[in-house]
Amino acid sequence: MTASGRDVYRETLTGLAETDDRILCFEADLGGRRHPFAERHPDRFFNLGIAEATMVDMAAGLAAAGYKPFLSTFAPFAALRAAESLKLTLGYLGAGVTVVAPYAGVSGAWFGTTHHCLEDVAVLRAIPGVVIAAPYGEEEMRAVIEYAAVSGRPHYVRTGRNAAYRALPGSRAGAGERVPPVVWDHRAGADAVCLVSVGEEATRMCLEARQREPGLGHAHLCYLDHEHLTLAAAQLAAAHRRFVVVEEHRAQGGAAEALALLMPERVVTGVNAGRDWPSEGGDHAEVMARLGLDTAAVITATR
Amino acid sequence: MTVAPQRADTRARLLAERATRARRLVVDMAASPRGCHLGGSLSVLDILIAALDRADRGDGTEVVLSKGHAAAALYAALHVTGVLAENPAPHYGQAGHPYTGHPGPKVPGVIFPTGSLGHGVPYAAGWAMARRLAGRPGLGIAIAGDGELQEGLVWETCQVAAARGLGTFVLVVDRNGGQNDGLVADISPLPRLAERFAAFGFETAEVDGHDPAALAEVLDGDRSGATRPLAVVAATVKGKGVPAVEGKAAAHYVTIDRARAEKWKRVIR
Repeated sequence: MTASGRDVYRETLTGLAETDDRILCFEADLGGRRHPFAERHPDRFFNLGIAEATMVDMAAGLAAAGYKPFLSTFAPFAALRAAESLKLTLGYLGAGVTVVAPYAGVSGAWFGTTHHCLEDVAVLRAIPGVVIAAPYGEEEMRAVIEYAAVSGRPHYVRTGRNAAYRALPGSRAGAGERVPPVVWDHRAGADAVCLVSVGEEATRMCLEARQREPGLGHAHLCYLDHEHLTLAAAQLAAAHRRFVVVEEHRAQGGAAEALALLMPERVVTGVNAGRDWPSEGGDHAEVMARLGLDTAAVITATR
Repeated sequence: MTVAPQRADTRARLLAERATRARRLVVDMAASPRGCHLGGSLSVLDILIAALDRADRGDGTEVVLSKGHAAAALYAALHVTGVLAENPAPHYGQAGHPYTGHPGPKVPGVIFPTGSLGHGVPYAAGWAMARRLAGRPGLGIAIAGDGELQEGLVWETCQVAAARGLGTFVLVVDRNGGQNDGLVADISPLPRLAERFAAFGFETAEVDGHDPAALAEVLDGDRSGATRPLAVVAATVKGKGVPAVEGKAAAHYVTIDRARAEKWKRVIR
């Protein structure tokens, strides 16, 4: 059975900690009652309570002492409430701390505005040196966490709530290797419009769009920081002239904006969450649709 | 471990002598083109020097100046304790030198960028936690200002440190009673401060923040078996050591000329 991104994170980290006793797992009271890491490694699991900024700053101290802290709390609280701590710890110090942030985008759905996070990539992209990942599917999440554990680099990993997907073929070159800058789902001719998907639901929508419009190209990007987007842009620009970037994020500070700057000779447009503040109930797909994020919008944008 | 009386006297004299030298360096930095946070730098100096001397024991103790606006005091203290070889005063605030108005980790001995208040406290708690997890000695010492205690992050960390039984975490409060816009007592008072920490589950101590022997004694305590963090409320005087500014709210940020600096340095004892 396919697992959600946050479940894959927990299982992967629990497994990695079997052979690496420097790995520590922190939660800010949103880890649930039966966390696999807590059950397997109780001496290295810490629920610090509802104290996000403290958790990030403490992780800097632990990383300085040689530990590998992995922190998790909902994206709106990690990226926005603890933003200054992320700047100091992940950015300024470049500490080997990994922040795993579920409930990104509007996956919080009916939980409301405080639990939505359409700004996190913009915040983290503005902090140089941080590896930003938005994996699609369990194999990609596993690869991202494994790389974070060995790389010593600061990571911000965004994921959804409970949606579970299988990663695209080619998202992992081999065991222990990083997800490539571009995961090609479908290569079309240079004249075809190429969809570029970021994150779980955007990738799902692009897959659906391409089923309806087989002539479209489709590239999926797991990593969204400047370093990886620069590598991706070189590959994308060599293959297509026109791109539609789909992301569950605002246009400001998102992947489309970045790719447009990195590919000045190419046409880059976006399908994203726009400028609205979602304030109504509904499930995840319904809240996205209210923001203009659905498969029909993706297809329309390619015309 | 209690230091033997004669040795304690010798050590107190050494710390006092360092503080005098450091105060003169801070005044030099106030006479730089940039000026400096003079009042809070002079109030925290004795605490810093005692804490750095405690860390010099070599057991893995780290000291974080969380009230980063007192960077001039930190640079001066690091220099007189031998951590920082270069005299920072001639280069303070100057292009091409790392001695910025709030400290960053390019300065030897500085481990965490501070100045946005509150953050140094959880960093030190994280260091304390790391030492305990590794089964190693050493403390995480954070030095905060009393104005800084208005930041929620400080109390968030106190909650976590007490809940985790972090006996290796020490928070020293430089209680000089001042902040940027005036007096702490007028802006957001802190009545019964030591009791507040006690209510969080801390061990507490109240000391004269300008008494090297008292500071050394409280920081020297054996905390290897402690299960409660320690809060030290150190009573200090803003602008301590320079009569012209002692106790004055206007001493918060000062820029002076060289002649005045030389005059002030002569009266520092």
